[in-house]
Amino acid sequence: MAVENTASLMDPAPERAKRGAFFFPMLFMGIICAAFDLGRFLWGGSGVPKTVDFDTGATLTVIMLLSMGPMLGARGKLSRGQDAAALGNFMLLMVVGIIMIVGIISTWSAVPIGLGYGGIYDITSGWLALYFLAGTLGLLASVMKGKRVPARFSAERWVAHNVVSFWGFMVLVWTVFFIVFYLA
Amino acid sequence: MATTDVQGRTVSGAGGGGQPFVWSMVLPMVRAGFFGFTGYFAAAWITAMLTHSVIVNPLPATMGYIFGLLGWVAGSGIWEGWIRRAFGGEEAPSLTGVERYFRFSSDPKATAVRYVIFNVLAFFFAGLAAMAIRIELLTPDSTGWWLSEVHYNMTFGIHGLMMLLAVAASVIVGGMGYYLLPLMLGARTVIYPRLLGLSWWLLPPAAVAVFLSPLIGGFQTGWWGYPPLAQNSGSGIVFYALGAATLLTSSLLGALNIMGTIIYMRAKGMSLGRVPMFVWGLFAASTILIVEAPATFTGTLMDLSDMILGSHFYTGPTGIPLAYDDQFWWLFHPEVYVFALPAFALWLEILPAAAQRPLFARNWAIAGLLGVSMVGAMLGVHHYFTAVSAVRMPIFMTITETVSIPTGFVFLAALGTLWGGRLKLSSPVLLSLMAMMNFLIGGLTGIFNADVPADFQLHNTYWVIAHFHYTILGAVIFSWLAGLYWWFPKVTGRLVNEFWAKFHAWWFFIFFNMTFFPMFILGIEGMNRRIAVYLPYLHPLNEFVSISAFFLGAGFLIPAANLFISWRSGKKAPQNPWGSKSLEWHSPSPTPYIVFPEGSEVTVVGPNDNYADGAPEPFVWAPTAAGK
Ligand code: HEM
Ligand SMILES: [Cu+2]
Repeated sequence: MAVENTASLMDPAPERAKRGAFFFPMLFMGIICAAFDLGRFLWGGSGVPKTVDFDTGATLTVIMLLSMGPMLGARGKLSRGQDAAALGNFMLLMVVGIIMIVGIISTWSAVPIGLGYGGIYDITSGWLALYFLAGTLGLLASVMKGKRVPARFSAERWVAHNVVSFWGFMVLVWTVFFIVFYLA
Repeated sequence: MATTDVQGRTVSGAGGGGQPFVWSMVLPMVRAGFFGFTGYFAAAWITAMLTHSVIVNPLPATMGYIFGLLGWVAGSGIWEGWIRRAFGGEEAPSLTGVERYFRFSSDPKATAVRYVIFNVLAFFFAGLAAMAIRIELLTPDSTGWWLSEVHYNMTFGIHGLMMLLAVAASVIVGGMGYYLLPLMLGARTVIYPRLLGLSWWLLPPAAVAVFLSPLIGGFQTGWWGYPPLAQNSGSGIVFYALGAATLLTSSLLGALNIMGTIIYMRAKGMSLGRVPMFVWGLFAASTILIVEAPATFTGTLMDLSDMILGSHFYTGPTGIPLAYDDQFWWLFHPEVYVFALPAFALWLEILPAAAQRPLFARNWAIAGLLGVSMVGAMLGVHHYFTAVSAVRMPIFMTITETVSIPTGFVFLAALGTLWGGRLKLSSPVLLSLMAMMNFLIGGLTGIFNADVPADFQLHNTYWVIAHFHYTILGAVIFSWLAGLYWWFPKVTGRLVNEFWAKFHAWWFFIFFNMTFFPMFILGIEGMNRRIAVYLPYLHPLNEFVSISAFFLGAGFLIPAANLFISWRSGKKAPQNPWGSKSLEWHSPSPTPYIVFPEGSEVTVVGPNDNYADGAPEPFVWAPTAAGK
C-alpha cells in the first residue's frame, strides 16, 4: 500500500472546496477587525489626534494598494499554471509584509497605549501586524515549497491560491483600518 | 452496488489498528508536555528578568503561556505532520494505527476520540471543583477548615469556565461532531483535517493553565472576567483570559471545518433537505461561532491588554466597563446555543431510529435549529439588564422571548416523531427523553429571567444557577451521555452495558433534580450566587442540595466504569445495533481508517429516515468516477 495513496484517499476535497471554504476563516478574521474598527469610535472619540504619524500610515497604505499588482499577477500565473513564475511575485509580497510589520510598530510611539485613541489604535494595528506575520509566513512556506518540491506545489496549488487570497484580504482590512483610524 | 457488497470489501489495506499499542507511542505527548513546560518557564523567567519582576506577575505569566502553548504544539508532532511538509520538506507517512491517537494527526476520528478523553478529564476536575463548592456551602458561615472566601471565588470561577468552555462547548460538537461529520455526509474526512487536528492540541494547555491559575494568584471574577475586578485581583486572571481565547480559537477551527465540509463535501445526491439533522445542528452552532465569536475574542484581548499593557479600555477614568459586558455577552449568550443546538439535533437523530419512524416536520425542525441560531444571535443584553439604560430593556426582553418559537419547532418535531410510535427505550433514548424534560424546565425558567421586572429580583441569585444547570447539565450533558452510548458501538465495535447505563440514567435524573430544583427556591428566597457565606435561614435547603450534589457527583463513576469496561470487554456489537438508516452505520464498526472503501462512492437516493416496511435503501454505492 502506497502511503501517498492513503493520504490522497483520506483527503479528497477538491481545489474548489479548499479555496471556497477559506472564506470562513477570512470572514472571522474580518469581523475581528470590524469589531476593533468600531471600537475606535467608542474609545477614540471623533477626530484624529495631532500626534498621529500620518505620513507613515499613508505610505503604508499606498504600498498596500500597489501590492495588488504583484498579487493579481501571482493569481493570474497560478491560474495559468505558471507556478515558478508566481514565486517571484510571492517574494515581492513577502518584502511588503515585512515592511508593513516594521511600519506598524514604528507608528506606535506617536500614539501611546495609555488613553483612548492610542489604546485602540495600538491594539488594532498590533492585531493587523499579526495577520501580516501570518501572511508572510504563508508566503515563505509557499516559496520554499515551490523551490524545493515544485510538483507538490502544483498538486496543492490551492494552498498558494489561499495565500494570495489572504493577501487580498489584508489589502482590504488595512485600507479600512487606514480610513477608520486616519481619516474618519 | 448494494451496501453490503461494499462493506464486504477490505478497505485499501489500511484498516488501522494493526500494530498493538506500545508505550513508546505516547512519546509525542510527553515531548509536547516537556516543550510546553520548558517554553513556559523560559519565557516567564526571561520576561521577569527583563522587566525586573517575578514570574507570577501578569506579564511574565502571559509570555510564559504563549511560549508554553507554542512549545506544546510544536512537540505534538505538528512539525513532522504538517509544518515541515508545508515548507517543502519531507513528507511523513500517514499513520493509520493506534499511534495517531497520541500525536498530532489529521484523522478526524482520532481527533474526536481525543476530544472525548479531554472532555471526560475536564468534566472530572471541574466536577471536583463543584464538590468543593458544595462542601463550603454545607454551612452558612465560612468554614474554617475548608476554602477561604478568596479560594471559594477561585473555585467557582474555574468550575464555571471549564464546564462551559472545556466541556459543554465541545462534548457534542467535538467528541461526536468531528467523528460523525464526514461519515454522515459521505466524505472520508473533513475539509481542513490538519486544522481540525490542531484544534485539539489547543485544549490541554488552556485547561491546565486555568486549573492551575491559583498557583499565580487565581482569579476572583468568576467565568465572566468583568473589569475592573479583573485588573484588581490576582494575576491568575491572565490564565483566564488566555485560556478562554485559546478555547475559542479551538472551537473556531472546528466551526470552519464544519461549515466548509457541509457546503463542499456532501455525497452526491445529498441535497440540503437530506443532510442529517445532527449535521444541521453542527451547522447552526458553527454559524454562531464564526459570526459572533470575534466580538468576545476582542473583548478578552482588551481585558488582557488592560492587565498587562497599560491600556485603559475598561479601567480608569476613561475606561468603559459596560463595553466589556457588551462584547462578552455578544458571543456568550449565543454560545449557549452552541452547546444546546447540537444536543437538540442529537435527539432528532436518535429518536426516529429508535421509534422506527420518519422525523416529523423535518423542514420545520431545520428551520427551528437555524431560527434559534439567528434569533439567539442578538440578545446578550439580557444578562446585564441591571446595568443598561431603560431603552435597551424592552427590546432585548422581547427578542429573548421570541427564541421560544423556533425552539418549539424542535420540540414539536421530536414529540411528533414519538407520537403513536412504538419506542424502543434503550439507554440513549431514555437519556434523550430526560434531557428534553430537563430542558423544558430550563427553557421555561429562562422566560422569567428574560422578563425585566422578574429579572431584577432573580438576577445574581440561585434561580439563575438553577436555570442554566437545567439547560446545560440537564440537557447538554444528558445528551452527551446519550450520544456516547448511541455511537459507542460505532467507535469501539462494542456495546455498553445497558443495565448500568439505564441505572445511572435514573440516578442522574433523580439526583440532578434533587440538587438543582431546590436552587430555584433558594433563589426566590433570596440566596445570592457567588457567595461563601449566607444567612442561616437558608441552611436546611443548602444542606439538602449539597448532599444531593455529592450523590450526583459520585454517580458519574458509574458511566466512567461502564464505558471503560465496555470498551475493554463489552459485548461485540453488530454493525448497526440500533437499526438506524443513517449513513454512518453503513460502514463497518469500529470505523476503519478509511471510512468508505477505495474506488466506491455513495449516492444518496432517498431520505435516511424512511422506516416503512420495504422502503428503498437511501444510499447506493457506485464505482468512483475515473480520475478521482
Ligand atoms: C439553550 C439553552 C440555554 C442555555 C444553555 C442557557 C444558559 C444560560 C447561562 C449559562 C446563564 C447564566 C450565565 C451567567 O450568569 O453566568 C443563563 C442566564 C440567562 N438565561 Fe439562559 N440558557 C438557555 C436558555 C434560555 C432561554 C430559552 C431563555 C429565555 C427565554 C434564557 C434566558 C436567560 C436570561 C435572561 C439569563 C440571565 C439571567 C440573569 O443573570 O439575571 N435562557 N442562561
Ligand atoms: Cu443568554
